[in-house]
Amino acid sequence: MPEIKVTPLGAGQDVGRSCILVSIGGKNIMLDCGMHMGYNDDRRFPDFSYITQNGRLTDFLDCVIISHFHLDHCGALPYMSEMVGYDGPIYMTHPTKAICPILLEDFRKITVDKKGETNFFTSQMIKDCMKKVIPLNLHQTVQVDDELEIKAYYAGHVLGAAMVHIKVGSESVVYTVSVNKFALCHSGAAWIDKCRPDILISESTYATTIRDSKRCRERDFLKKVHESIERGGKVLIPVFALGRAQELCILLETFWERMNLKAPIYFSTGLTEKANHYYKLFITWTNQKIRKTFVQRNMFEFKHIKAFDRSYADNPGPMVVFATPGMLHAGQSLQIFKKWAGNDKNMVIMPGYCVQGTIGHKILNGQRKLEMEGRSTLDVKLQVEYMSFSAHADAKGIMQLIRMAEPRNMLLVHGEAAKMEFLKGKIEQEFNCYMPANGETVALTTNPSVPVDISLNLLKREMTLGGPLPDPKKPRTMHGTLIMKENSLKLVSSEQALKELGLNEHQLRFTCRVQLQDPHSDSDTLHRIYTHLKSVLKDYTIQHLPDGTVMVESIVIKVSSSAEDANAKVLLLSWSYQDEDLGSYLSSLLKKGLPT
Amino acid sequence: MMGETEAVEIDDILDDWFIESLKSYKDLHVYQLEHPTQIIEWTSGKTVCVAGYSSGKNEILELRLPLRLLADEKKGLCAERDFKVVHGGFSEGPVCCLRHIPGTRCAVTNDGLTSDLQLWDLGADDTDVIRKTGSLPGTSVSQAGSRITARLSSPPQVLHGAQSSGVQLTQLSTGQTLYRLEVDSTKPLSSLKFASPPPGECALWWTDASAASQCRVIMLSSSGQAVVSDLRNLGGALCQAQLDVQTSPRKPEDVTVAWAPALDGCFSVSGLSGLVQIYDTARWRAELQDASPLFQHAGHSVSSQHGDGSAPIFITTHVWHPERPRTLLSAASDGSVHVWDWVDPQTN
Repeated sequence: MPEIKVTPLGAGQDVGRSCILVSIGGKNIMLDCGMHMGYNDDRRFPDFSYITQNGRLTDFLDCVIISHFHLDHCGALPYMSEMVGYDGPIYMTHPTKAICPILLEDFRKITVDKKGETNFFTSQMIKDCMKKVIPLNLHQTVQVDDELEIKAYYAGHVLGAAMVHIKVGSESVVYTVSVNKFALCHSGAAWIDKCRPDILISESTYATTIRDSKRCRERDFLKKVHESIERGGKVLIPVFALGRAQELCILLETFWERMNLKAPIYFSTGLTEKANHYYKLFITWTNQKIRKTFVQRNMFEFKHIKAFDRSYADNPGPMVVFATPGMLHAGQSLQIFKKWAGNDKNMVIMPGYCVQGTIGHKILNGQRKLEMEGRSTLDVKLQVEYMSFSAHADAKGIMQLIRMAEPRNMLLVHGEAAKMEFLKGKIEQEFNCYMPANGETVALTTNPSVPVDISLNLLKREMTLGGPLPDPKKPRTMHGTLIMKENSLKLVSSEQALKELGLNEHQLRFTCRVQLQDPHSDSDTLHRIYTHLKSVLKDYTIQHLPDGTVMVESIVIKVSSSAEDANAKVLLLSWSYQDEDLGSYLSSLLKKGLPT
Repeated sequence: MMGETEAVEIDDILDDWFIESLKSYKDLHVYQLEHPTQIIEWTSGKTVCVAGYSSGKNEILELRLPLRLLADEKKGLCAERDFKVVHGGFSEGPVCCLRHIPGTRCAVTNDGLTSDLQLWDLGADDTDVIRKTGSLPGTSVSQAGSRITARLSSPPQVLHGAQSSGVQLTQLSTGQTLYRLEVDSTKPLSSLKFASPPPGECALWWTDASAASQCRVIMLSSSGQAVVSDLRNLGGALCQAQLDVQTSPRKPEDVTVAWAPALDGCFSVSGLSGLVQIYDTARWRAELQDASPLFQHAGHSVSSQHGDGSAPIFITTHVWHPERPRTLLSAASDGSVHVWDWVDPQTN
């Protein structure tokens, strides 16, 4: 039976280094290639030795697909393509392609320059890796080769995140890391409604959570900012150019207007240029809110939000500043942080995950004394707030996704097996559900329907043979020839097939000689044979022909005298291959001799 | 950058209630369950059970409160705002009453249709499954469900009954009835609590006697009259007030009244007005007077998912956190569950 095989190389049952191998219809696809942020040694990479023990991966993979730009999904890509070796196509959406190299380079700098690691990919490797990337547009079918096709759909949990539909023949797999409510309800995502893939692969990291509303997260953010401003403090918000910055700006601007607040809000210029550039490129990927702001007013001409100048950091009084980079590891946000850290009225709000080794990571772990360059220490007295705005699907979201897609099989990765039994049981009330560990292969048999046309002649002939029409519960053997031409299958009679192919039909006949002791004349012997067979083979057509032969069905029997022995006869039996069984039976029967 | 997109413009989000909530709540968390619950039951200081009450199969979930709420001093460093489903299981019928047996990982449920009880193992660290372990037959022939209560005892016992005449104390492990209330009346019970001394009959509809340290019981009538009495003298009123309530409840189970475990003299009411109201009895007098709530939680009606036209949502239940003075959880008929820590307006 045909099978689809899925093996997680990373993130089977733990979080980090997502990397899943799928074998479908003879094609091998790698889904995501992430880094595990918790390890500092080779355990942070997926185990590629599963694919091949040594050597490059190019011959073993048909393509690689990256779902979104988070490092636990693309962090190991340059390592895989340039250090292990892979030269085939790497697919990802346009925003992912634009953002990945920036994050990878930032990550590389932190790991190599700050932490001093050596066995890591270089800047050049990132560039070479990105040259192998083929960008995907939403809803556009891409033929990886003449059998494998892929298509990307909007997933929405981060910018550029995609659900991928993979198809080989009539077998299909859908892979999504997560999906947000909007993506499920959006008309563009109606495709997933009952698309019934053979396998739906999804992450289950947040499947055992019930999310607090977005409104409450925003409330907490505004409350914290407002409280700091009211006591005269300064608020620093380090952001990535395409992080939550734009949404938070719109939120603050509206709040400032509503509350008639006067404190200044600044947005660093580096951010503005980069963000503007990316927004122009990816406007279709953004939500309505942002699109409206961008169209109605030039992105950063807000009433209350102004461009930042580094000298403003020393101004007295309350203010809010958005600055890059997001993890406080360098640049403007770090400079501002150093100036403001010593005052307990101030606040820093971290809206996202920080990689190990960065100042952001340290302060989020509660460190209150930081070692800076030149052996100086910085006392962290300001208030540190970690806020999560991530939009992963929770328990309800996952069930919604599964019920919409109606897969034949559900496969969950990125969760801890022991803590997922309830979820598995819940899904299994409606669908098959699997949770493989790293290196564990799940092989799922598929039942692809193979459409075949049948010629009318052949169908008519089968019907004249009697019996009921073709019935799935009563299969019947039939004879015919299967012609496979281009992508169609046709069942025709053998004669028609030969005609179409311009071939002559050959006949195959077997002959066999049987020696008999019989003193009678040739014709008498023949007659005795005829009588004998008629009595034994009552259901068969047996004829004694005037040309001196006996015919049983198509089998011809001739008698002639033996040249060596006057009392012996030589029987010549000949039959066509269709009557093989009867022919063999007759020759054994006659070898036993004739009754007296 | 993409986040979730709700079909609501940002200006609508900043409505009056939202703006006011910045000052009136220290913490506010709003969740949407797949199915509404009418029970919230503490199983530890950090976990609660909720369960569905539809006619078919229902889920029982044990949820861990968001870490950020519980973090206190290190609150700022904790971004975790979500409920974690730590254990889950399935019930064949509705769950109208669920009690955790203190000192164990057992829970007892009733389906609101018969007086039989179901026993459950809430699960340990090595598994996330809640399993049914048995059942206890009830005595009453009434069509109504049973109320259940339990307290720390060894071996575990549970007090249950659907009508006053059917109240019995049962030992869980053996199913043996230890005590049966001999009373003629067949009035339906809407709540059952252990108190010390053992509970007597309640003339009014809803009571809470858990302010055991002060021997106080609060009794609330469906017209909104609240009376505080001494347990030893239930007939006399220490103080009373007419509460600010508008609606009559459809069923007795819709109303919850509870003393605040850690705020002397404060109690909460839900089910009579579409809000959760908190009253402070400190200034109440023996003569009946109007009282205004100290605080009202309007979150459920304000953020209702049901929109206009459909039936108004109602609060199915609410509970106080056993130790944190101003933290409550409330659930409504639209499946929402709120966790809120309110600010005493008198301190402003």
